[in-house]
Amino acid sequence: MKYFRVIGMAAAFCLVIIPGNTFLCHAYEDTQCFQCHTSAKKLIEATREIAKTRPARKSAETSGEG
Amino acid sequence: MEPLAPHEKIFVDSDIVDDENHGEIACHECHGGNPDDPNWKTAHKGVVKDPTYPDATTACGECHDEINENYQKSLHVSLSPYKLIIDERASSNTVIRNKLGCAMNTHCSECHSSCGQCHISRPNSVEGGFLDGHLFQKKPPMQEVCTACHGSRIQKEYLGEHKGLLPSIHKEKYMKCDKCHTGEEMHGNGKDYAHRYDVENGPKCVDCHKEIYRREAKNVITHRIHKDKASCHVCHSQPYNNCSACHVGKDKQGLAFFKTKSSWFDFKIGLNPLKSEKRPEKFVTLRHVPVDKRTFDFYVKDALSNFDTLPTWKLATPHNIRLKTTQNASCNACHGNESLFLREKDVEDNEKEANKNVLVPVNLIPKKQKWQPK
Repeated sequence: MKYFRVIGMAAAFCLVIIPGNTFLCHAYEDTQCFQCHTSAKKLIEATREIAKTRPARKSAETSGEG
Repeated sequence: MEPLAPHEKIFVDSDIVDDENHGEIACHECHGGNPDDPNWKTAHKGVVKDPTYPDATTACGECHDEINENYQKSLHVSLSPYKLIIDERASSNTVIRNKLGCAMNTHCSECHSSCGQCHISRPNSVEGGFLDGHLFQKKPPMQEVCTACHGSRIQKEYLGEHKGLLPSIHKEKYMKCDKCHTGEEMHGNGKDYAHRYDVENGPKCVDCHKEIYRREAKNVITHRIHKDKASCHVCHSQPYNNCSACHVGKDKQGLAFFKTKSSWFDFKIGLNPLKSEKRPEKFVTLRHVPVDKRTFDFYVKDALSNFDTLPTWKLATPHNIRLKTTQNASCNACHGNESLFLREKDVEDNEKEANKNVLVPVNLIPKKQKWQPK
C-alpha cells in the first residue's frame, strides 16, 4: 500500500510541479532548420557564403522619393 | 529604420517553441524544404520564403479562416486601386497593354504585403527580415512594417521629420498607426475597392472626435459652418510633400529602378475628385502624385495615352494634423487667400486637362469674411 502511495505522489509531483513544457516534445527542435536558424554563428557563415555568389539586387539608378 | 544584417533577417528566436499557438508547427510545414537533409544548400530546395503570399490558406487559413476569407481582397494584397488607376489611364491597344502589364509586374506588383510580411517579417519591398526572430506579432510594429513602406510621405509627416514642420498631434499623443487603421481595415471585408478612400471601415476623424458638432464644443460654430464643405485636413494639416514625374526602367544589369523628377512642399486645396456620401466635402487637400505621361516609356511608348482621364493632383489625407495651423489661424487666413487653392497657374501645361475638375475657379474661392467667430 505504501509502495502505491509513493508512486502516486511521484506521479502527482510530475504532473503538477514540473512545468508542462518539459513534457512537450517539439520534434522539429532537432531538425537542421531549427538548429541552424537559431544559431547566429551558423547563419553568419551561411549568409557570407551566399553573398559571394549573389549580385546586388537594388539598382544604383534608383533615385527620388517613391 | 535600422537595416538588418543578412543573418539577422533569418535568425529564429528559439522562444518560438513556447508560442502556444504557433510553436507546435514545424518549419517545413509552412516553408517546405527538407528538414532531414544535413546540407543546408540542398535542404532549402523548394523552400518558400513567404508561405502566406499569394495564398495564405495553407499557412494561416486553417486557423484564421475568417481573416483568410477576405485576404485576397485586402488592398495590401490585391493592390487593386493601383491596377484600376493605371488601367484607366492606359491605352486600349492590347499590345501596349501587355507591355504595360510587364512593366507593372516589375515595378508595381512587388509593393504588396501579406500575413507574413506584417506579422512575422518586414515587407519584402524593404528587403524583408524577421521582426523579432520569427516570433508572431499580433500588432505589426509601426516603423518596421507600416512606415517601412509608407515612409517618404506618411512617416515623415507623422513623425515631424520634415524640416520646419511639426509632427502630427496624434504622434505626440503616442498613437501608433493601428489606433486609427484597425486590423479589420487592414484585413479587408471581402469587398473589392477601387480606391483606398472607399474602404468602408477606414478611419474617419469623427470616429474619435465625436463632440465637434455638439453645442457645447469649443469650436462648434466653425465646425458646423464647414461641415461637408471642407475636409478636416483643409483646416488641420500642415504643408506636405508632393512628387512629380516618376519614371521606371531597368539598368544595364537588368535591375529595376525608378526616378522621380522632383519633390516639393505645398498645401493645396482643390475640388474633391472623390465626392461621395462618405466624403461629401466640396474642398479637400490635394497632393501631386509621382505619375507622368511617360512613366512607362522605357517599356512602351504611349502606354498612358488616356492620361488625362484622372487628375495628377489627388485627394490626400496628410498625416501631419495639428489643432492650430497657418490656414485656420483666422477666417481670412484661408478665405480670400488664393495661394492656398489649386489654381490653373499651379499646374503644368501638360497636366491642365487631367486636373480640370479639381482646379478651383476664382469664383469658388471663399470670400473674405468680416465676421469672426468668438
